[in-house]
Amino acid sequence: MKTLRQRLVPYGLMGPGLIWLFVFFVIPMYFMGQLSLKTGSLGAGYELTWAFENYTDSISQYSDQFLRAFYYAGVASFLCLLIGYPLAYAIAFKAGRWKNLMLFAVVAPFFTTYLIRTIAWKTLLDDTSPIVSVLKFLQIVPQDGRVLATSGAVIAGLTYNFLPFMVLPLFASLERLDRRLLEAGKDLYASAAQTFWRITLPLTAPGIIAGVLLTFIPAAGDYVNVIFLGGTKQAMIGNVIQSKYLVVNDYPDAAALSFTLMAIILVALIIYIKFAGTGALMGDEEEAT
Amino acid sequence: MIEASKSQFKVLLLALAALVASVTLVACGGDGGLSGSDSSEATVAEGGDPNSLTISSWPLYIDSKTIPEFQKEEGVETTYNEDVNDNNEFFGKVQSQLANGKSGGRSIMVVTDWMAKKMWDLGYLQKLDHDKLTTVFDNMIPSLRSPKFDPDREFSVPWQSGLTGLVVRSDLAPDVKSINDLFDPKYKGKVTMLAEMRDTVPLVMAADGVDVENATTDDWMAAIDKLKENVDNGQIRRFTGNDFVQDMLKGDVVAAIGWSGDTVQLETDNPNIDYVQPAEGCSLWSDNMVIPVGAPNADAAYKYMNYVYEPKNQAQITKYVNYVSPVAGTREVLLKQDPDIANNQLIFPTDEYTKDCFTQISPPGDEAEQQEVEQAFQDVITG
Repeated sequence: MKTLRQRLVPYGLMGPGLIWLFVFFVIPMYFMGQLSLKTGSLGAGYELTWAFENYTDSISQYSDQFLRAFYYAGVASFLCLLIGYPLAYAIAFKAGRWKNLMLFAVVAPFFTTYLIRTIAWKTLLDDTSPIVSVLKFLQIVPQDGRVLATSGAVIAGLTYNFLPFMVLPLFASLERLDRRLLEAGKDLYASAAQTFWRITLPLTAPGIIAGVLLTFIPAAGDYVNVIFLGGTKQAMIGNVIQSKYLVVNDYPDAAALSFTLMAIILVALIIYIKFAGTGALMGDEEEAT
Repeated sequence: MIEASKSQFKVLLLALAALVASVTLVACGGDGGLSGSDSSEATVAEGGDPNSLTISSWPLYIDSKTIPEFQKEEGVETTYNEDVNDNNEFFGKVQSQLANGKSGGRSIMVVTDWMAKKMWDLGYLQKLDHDKLTTVFDNMIPSLRSPKFDPDREFSVPWQSGLTGLVVRSDLAPDVKSINDLFDPKYKGKVTMLAEMRDTVPLVMAADGVDVENATTDDWMAAIDKLKENVDNGQIRRFTGNDFVQDMLKGDVVAAIGWSGDTVQLETDNPNIDYVQPAEGCSLWSDNMVIPVGAPNADAAYKYMNYVYEPKNQAQITKYVNYVSPVAGTREVLLKQDPDIANNQLIFPTDEYTKDCFTQISPPGDEAEQQEVEQAFQDVITG
């Protein structure tokens, strides 16, 4: 039989977090949900009319920007994984005494603000920059083409800005990996590639999942990269929400779009965790038996 | 590992449950809507502690000496916040306070013509007491005394004004003289326009021969369609704030719709960046000092307005910001101090120079019609 004190401790510990979540997440959500079903205007006032057409209209009108957001965020997350995994692997296994310094180097860009980092890319990618000249020479960019104000620039910016969110969880899971399993694989005549595909990769799957989530979710809602690196045909759903809210003052539509974005991400997240999660588990069990 | 994933899944389910719960809660909600009041009932700004003042203005919009000197000479404890970066953004920030009759401690806000009008229509501003603004009305230049949006200057006093027209790299696009030249295919992908609808669209209408001041909603929509066409075919590179300046310094952009003040400040960086008065005329705008509802210190606000309308005080501000000054007599002061500025067409434009220009305008019609036009323009920008 637990004492009262023992039973209260967990609530006491969770209390501040729960209150925080309630005040700064649940309550704003409630007001936003309510706003998204209203009609009216800023001048005349809004009235709750259960206007579900706010959802249907805005989803059908801005499906392009939704798809673009998920496409950009998806490609950026994939590129982050492609760049981040070897990097995290090298830091965890090969860096030796340089490990801390290299981790520091991954995080270092965060000492400048997000905005400044993104604006710096404008200089890197401007029409006459050496990088663009090289890309033109390699025929990757057409002779009369440009990089800035294209989809490529936006994806590059997203990849750069969210790369550390991929590298850090990957590093954490690679670092924790039990090296004896790798030795055992070698002892059992597995090649380096086999060891990697059958031991390292499955065991670091939670890191990959965490990394993809941490890059994909913020990237899908981002609007800063488009403002600075995009042109006229790169707007993501975040830009639409921003303009609806701040410029047009169409608060209900802005709220409906935000809710839709959140719902899509949440559903995608659950499906992703369900499949990726169990996939990783199966690999895990296979290795264990 | 199994445990970890299961509990992760549980957390997600909980989050989903919370989301569903919060949406369901909507059902029991009342209608805490925002509502404006009728501006005809606007209160006259008065009273408060005359020795304390809080101002919200734009970054780099005042020199460093004016505020300390004002504090010393008038004995008003002044807090000057540079928290206005964008009319819409600022509106989003203060709107809910103003709707509740509170100003957040501000007694003066500086906003552009159309935003001042929008706030006034929503009942967010107080009426100015002209008896307390004698210096202001003695010295205001005639052309700014009765703008269309506030014919009797009931609620706004100009802070600084400027021109919207063409900004051109004279070495790379020497033949751009009219807004229509921006649609010349040889500058494809090298042209930008301003993301502020009221700056860009009226100039495009003027280029098509529309009488801007009497333009109909259809005229606005036609101009927006024209912009859309030029976005779709790649002519327009992007829509900007004053960051078009960076693109232009590098030569990525050779011609743009932009603000006169930016080019004055750029002259030292690159003499090839010029303001060109469009053949169709330009758009004239002002940023205005307004007194919000619930302003705690209206009397101190009047003191400040009168103070900056003294030509010698105004000259100090003009020397720093390089925009068009609304105060008569400033040029005479500057002729002695700094003839270069006093003779600059973009800071002290002659009537001849601005003869084809029009005051910045909003789309016609009521709030809903204006919103429709704004939305159409935004859909072009966020294509």
